[in-house]
Amino acid sequence: MSDLIAIGAIAGAYGVRGEVRLKSFTAEPSDIARYTPLVTEDGARSFDVTITRPIKNGFAARLSGIDTKEEADALRGTQLYTERSKLPSLPDDEFYHADLVGLEVVDTGGTVLGHVRAVHDHGAGDLLEVHGPALRESVLLPFTRAAVPTVDLGAGRIVADPPEGLFE
Amino acid sequence: MSRSVWKGPFVDAYVLKKAEAARESGRNEVIKIWSRRSTILPQFVGLTFGVYNGRKHIPVNVSEDMIGQKFGEYSPTRTYYGHAADKKAKRK
Repeated sequence: MSDLIAIGAIAGAYGVRGEVRLKSFTAEPSDIARYTPLVTEDGARSFDVTITRPIKNGFAARLSGIDTKEEADALRGTQLYTERSKLPSLPDDEFYHADLVGLEVVDTGGTVLGHVRAVHDHGAGDLLEVHGPALRESVLLPFTRAAVPTVDLGAGRIVADPPEGLFE
Repeated sequence: MSRSVWKGPFVDAYVLKKAEAARESGRNEVIKIWSRRSTILPQFVGLTFGVYNGRKHIPVNVSEDMIGQKFGEYSPTRTYYGHAADKKAKRK
């Protein structure tokens, strides 16, 4: 589990007064401002974010310490991160995608099936994309109590009881 | 133009057969289907179908609010990963 989670990116300057175009990756796009201060990947720079208005493909925002268009332009392409600890805690049976990705998946007998590569939701419930060396291609595992009886974030492990024929 | 009511919902016959067989066997299995055009019927609720998206079978757990939709709606043909950020998954 990584400490930093990417939650947005700077797409360039907006206008000539030092505002930036901010692309949000959060589930509710405007929530990006709730996680300030945001840091760069190396943690060298930190910004307080104030959203000024919604624009096409994101928000116009003002970042602390960025006062000119040149400074804003220099940040184009920079990804913004927040610490995992800043995300609010969730009720039982709800998990952040960031916590699930990378977990080891074992079956009820203890055999390692692979690792979680991504979490998808196509409208019929969440699916864990499991990728492993023994698998020809990644397998989608329904994220239900029946198919995934145990999620142990501390041990970094998921116990799966997949439906018949899923891992063949 | 919508489908005539007197015809009833369209479902490929093999989907009905497979669903019935799975329900009778009571086994926990993914019913592999290729028919994205078939309508989801009330008797499919609780079953898991693997709906083909042109590359692989996407598991679709049928619930009550999916009745009347088509299987293909739950099996996208394009993959988009995006960022995890603060997105949540709920175990049902």
